[in-house]
Amino acid sequence: MNTPTPYGIWLVTRQEFRIRLRTGRWRWLLGGWVALLAIFTALLDLSVQTGYGFANDNARRGVPLFGILMLFVLGMVLVISPALTSQTINGDRERGTLATLQVTKLTPLEIALGKLLAGWGVGLVALALTLPFAGYAMANGGITIGRVAAVYGVVAILIGVVCAVSQALSALLARSITSALLSYLTVAALTIGTLISFALIAPLITEPHTQRDPDGYVYTYTVMRQDRVWWLLAPNPFVVVADAAPQVPPQITQRGDVVYVDDYDPLSMIGRGVRDLRRPPDYQYSSYTEQDRGEPVWPIGLAFNVLLGVGAVAVTAARLRTPSRRLSRGVRIA
Amino acid sequence: MASENGQESAEFGVVVHDVWRHFGSVPALSGVSISAPYGQVTALVGPNGAGKTTLLLILASLLRPDRGEVRVAGADPVADPFGVRSQMGWMPDSFGVYDQLTVYEYLGFFADAYRMKRASVPSRVAELLTLIHLSEFAYQPVHVLSRGQKQRLALARALIHRPRVLLLDEPASGLDPRSRVELRDILRGLAAEGAAVLVSSHILTELEEIADRVVLVDRGRTAGEHTMNELAAQARTAYRVRATDPAVLASALQSRGVQATGGNGTGTELPPMSEDEAADLLAGLVGGGVRVVAFEPLGSNLESVYMAMTEERR
Repeated sequence: MNTPTPYGIWLVTRQEFRIRLRTGRWRWLLGGWVALLAIFTALLDLSVQTGYGFANDNARRGVPLFGILMLFVLGMVLVISPALTSQTINGDRERGTLATLQVTKLTPLEIALGKLLAGWGVGLVALALTLPFAGYAMANGGITIGRVAAVYGVVAILIGVVCAVSQALSALLARSITSALLSYLTVAALTIGTLISFALIAPLITEPHTQRDPDGYVYTYTVMRQDRVWWLLAPNPFVVVADAAPQVPPQITQRGDVVYVDDYDPLSMIGRGVRDLRRPPDYQYSSYTEQDRGEPVWPIGLAFNVLLGVGAVAVTAARLRTPSRRLSRGVRIA
Repeated sequence: MASENGQESAEFGVVVHDVWRHFGSVPALSGVSISAPYGQVTALVGPNGAGKTTLLLILASLLRPDRGEVRVAGADPVADPFGVRSQMGWMPDSFGVYDQLTVYEYLGFFADAYRMKRASVPSRVAELLTLIHLSEFAYQPVHVLSRGQKQRLALARALIHRPRVLLLDEPASGLDPRSRVELRDILRGLAAEGAAVLVSSHILTELEEIADRVVLVDRGRTAGEHTMNELAAQARTAYRVRATDPAVLASALQSRGVQATGGNGTGTELPPMSEDEAADLLAGLVGGGVRVVAFEPLGSNLESVYMAMTEERR
């Protein structure tokens, strides 16, 4: 059995790039993508300045700018990524170019990884094109380079995961329409599906809670135990990215007895939200400091997604292994 | 015994013994056995659905047989697919090409994929382009090629790594007459250089000129395995005879009990007979004073064997 080599993977990746780039439409697509980002960033900048009261707080205007931009970018790349690989295997089968590849000395893993890297590479190019806009947000203050690196690193990995899963579906299903549809359903399951399942399951996990008043009154009420089902939200790409971003120190203002905590950062808000879900119901909040930020959620979510991606590559390679036991449906017999 | 087996794998590029394969409830191969010796072109002939493509997919190390023994270039495609692939070239009946690449890039990619030495690739590609008469298209994109030219390019792809066993599934379909003659010459040339060539086709007259041997396959089984010389001796072919005086010919045939069927202006058609019977009849007619000007077999030997085989199906 031949072992996969970087050279074999590179051969397949180069071939995929040559085939894709010469169709020519990519220039228009990438141009449109940059134009979309420019319009979004410009409008966002204006609305943050005027609508969100940041006109006089220029030192921190980059924080909401960056956070909202990154949520938009993540949403967009999650839509783009399935299209990059959801037809790479069954599309080649339909065109009749897969079998000729399989009878060469290229191993199944080389073909799977080579094609994945090509699709992932295109996704990373799309992500790299957003960097100037993130740079603009940085220039507006409040964002560290470490924060940018963490967010981009996690988004880059998630693009690869979605590409890998879409590719596995294209290896499993005969028709490219079906695999494209299921790829988008997978993204929907990760993003919306995790929210829905949490919203439906969390209310079912309740227990009676007894509290004794300082005055001696004892009363019992029902509490939701989100701390037992918080992990349902962990695979959500938005949760993973937001929670992985280093916390921006929140602004704490006190008016009378009320303490206002606001960091104007959607990423920190999401991150704090899911971390709070991990706390038991009787948790006593002391203060909103970094020490009390709570247990992180993103390592579990990221690990889940990476395992999903690795599993998808293994499935793809297994489906490409020949001689095969089964023939894809639609392939002519005899 | 052991040496005999060694002998066998040294002589035969393809050995298939009692191979079975089904798809769901549909049997595709039911104990087929064939062999293709080195240095010869072996034709694989059978009606649609006989299992020819399935058999070639198994030989090409793409499909796993349910059971049975398969050796391609001495290696087992299931246990050692990479051993088979380095020695085997396969041209499928329907295939796609990368339209965006140039002809040169297309062949260069497969040379790389077969892990040929980089230095040897340019000369090998140039050599093949000359062989298939596409040298002037080397830097043209593949999509400008005609169907027949793409077919030839696919043949070059199958040959890129100098395989000792060549498997071709309907290679002549879509080729114009000139390309067919060139394909025949290429395949004969490869066999002369020692390759084992296995060709499936429906164009029987074509195969008769290319092949040294023919394997007949029907309903997933071997229906016969002959050399072309044997076929010529065994086959019963219809003949056409023409004489200066049709009336004398007709009465001579009647007196010999030969059922002549009508015939048009070109002569009288005689029922199928072997070469010996035909020679006897001709000698008898001439000896009996019939002035025969033409006496020729109708159709090819292969065609008559094929027709006889498929006759039973109806």
